[in-house]
Amino acid sequence: MFKWKKLGRVFNPQEVQGRNWLKEFAQAPSVLVFDDFVRVYFSCRPLPDENGQYVSYSAFVDLNRNNLFDIVNIAEKPILELGEPGTFDEFGVYPTSVIRNGDEVWAYYGGWTRCESVPFNVAIGLATSRDHGVTFNRIGSGPVLSHSVNEPFILSGPKIRRFNHCWYLWYIAGKKWIIAGGKPEPVYKIRMATSEDGSHWKKIDRDIIENKVEENEAQASPDVFFRDGVYHMFFSYRYSENFRSREHGYRIGYAYSRDLLNWDRDDAKAGIDVSQDGWDSEMISYPHVFELDGKVYMLYLGNQVGRFGFGLAELEEHQSG
Amino acid sequence: MKWKKLGKIFDPTHHKLSNNCVEFAQSPQALVFDDFIRIYFSTREKDGTGKYLSHISFVEMDRDLGKTINISTNTVIKLGGLGCFDEHGIFPLNVVRNKNQIYGYIGGWSRRVSVSVETAIGLAISNDNGLTFERIGDGPILTSSLTEPFLVGDPFVAEFGGIHHMWYIYGTTWMDGPTKNVKERIYKIGHAISGDGIVWNKDGKQLVCDRLNSDECQALPTVIRFNDKYHMFFCYRQATGFRKEKDRGYRIGYAFSDDLANWTRDDDNVGIAVSDDGWDSDMMCYPHVFECKNKVYMLYNGNEFGRFGFGLAILEDPNP
Repeated sequence: MFKWKKLGRVFNPQEVQGRNWLKEFAQAPSVLVFDDFVRVYFSCRPLPDENGQYVSYSAFVDLNRNNLFDIVNIAEKPILELGEPGTFDEFGVYPTSVIRNGDEVWAYYGGWTRCESVPFNVAIGLATSRDHGVTFNRIGSGPVLSHSVNEPFILSGPKIRRFNHCWYLWYIAGKKWIIAGGKPEPVYKIRMATSEDGSHWKKIDRDIIENKVEENEAQASPDVFFRDGVYHMFFSYRYSENFRSREHGYRIGYAYSRDLLNWDRDDAKAGIDVSQDGWDSEMISYPHVFELDGKVYMLYLGNQVGRFGFGLAELEEHQSG
Repeated sequence: MKWKKLGKIFDPTHHKLSNNCVEFAQSPQALVFDDFIRIYFSTREKDGTGKYLSHISFVEMDRDLGKTINISTNTVIKLGGLGCFDEHGIFPLNVVRNKNQIYGYIGGWSRRVSVSVETAIGLAISNDNGLTFERIGDGPILTSSLTEPFLVGDPFVAEFGGIHHMWYIYGTTWMDGPTKNVKERIYKIGHAISGDGIVWNKDGKQLVCDRLNSDECQALPTVIRFNDKYHMFFCYRQATGFRKEKDRGYRIGYAFSDDLANWTRDDDNVGIAVSDDGWDSDMMCYPHVFECKNKVYMLYNGNEFGRFGFGLAILEDPNP
């Protein structure tokens, strides 16, 4: 059982000045810890185009390590340009998950393209940085993890981890597009892949988290950390229809595993829920858990999937079992 | 090498086709039976928006390919579901015997917004001798990767020495074309191998060198072994102007190999070229080479990418 104490909103993108590409949304936060600051990567959007369509960029804010509500720096430009015409990431780099690899920082990200019959498709790309994660370059113009027989579309939400000298990638894969409210909406599930080098991946090719609310439940943003001999996964999930409402919107779920392959879902232990009012009163999603100076924190998104930024919670209590 | 043209052998406008298809019989693919040859092809239906959907159909002919015996009236394989890689078309369906089943390698097409299409390769299996096919899953078996960023398509599979080989194409560039806001694609021939015909490992490199220029488009490879060599036929064209300008359109190219790893391009030795006039005078494309009764045949499309059917040639002289 976890018990999280909400500390409040850390970052509101709508307050940022002088960056046309960062007008709203600060989605999918994940951290890279430095000596003096904590760099939080997130994905953001400029205002929509004349057709109401968005592109997404990824960027970061640096938080004072001694006071995570003190923003000491905001990225001057996106960490990665959008892809070339026709490539998988032409219209968005979202979300991003980073990891140190020797002197480099590697970023796994969802690359977005636009389709005709459905609004979009997503595949997972890899870019590397030699300047401590300020700017990144793709290692190829195509994806590092793409669609396959049982993962036909929408490979997104990558989270990269290394445990016991093995690389793990948790992500989501689309299962089907359903028509909800007269338009196509995707159903996706949490999946995983393993690698010895971070660039050649082997999918385990099955859903690893059982459904809770319905068969078409959408599961997103798996985030895994290790504590007290157990691997803990926080993720988000929602109903397939009317999910922009408070009742059917994203909540944070929880599962645990001892071998990283078999996961037991137990949302009752997640220990965090929507607030009565305020910026996270309708939905909470995209949890990211990290350890810092003896404390455990969770970054997460609030209403409208991070349109108004992300907040922070601190682990107050964790009882095993 | 010398081919003798036997003329156009199938015109889709002369027949009633399933799925409301009226024109096009593209990328013919042969499956040889004891007493007939079935030729699968891609034909087209116009959807509600005026855009095309490519469906698979087939015609059955006698083993001398002189007489049409039967034309499919049912759906051979359904198009993919909403949002799937093969939602808007199958081109080609490459059919290969695998034990008691027929494997159908799908060149799947789906529409995009900033560029016209994306393609990927899927697999469907037939348990009724190729009359109908069912996908092994909704997604592709071969698709984009780090160095092959889009437009993985045109599968051709053959087994040599117990290993399954796939020749296919992958895109390298979507470039600005002569028409504003219309991107033109460039693609090259690649190769992958497999132990089971399902899980594939790409070589990850261009297999056949360019002849025209670095923007040359190479398509639809087909490979056959005779005279102790492997022979690859394919089609190639300029990146732009290929629809209307005869000298920029598709031609048949040729390469040979002793080991399936290294290929020598030798178009001068292909032994077949566009006609002076008639149905294949502007372009020749989408070759498919196969053997029947110890004869080697090439099926191919002519003008307008096969809008009015496909033709046949027979290998008269296999020597270089």
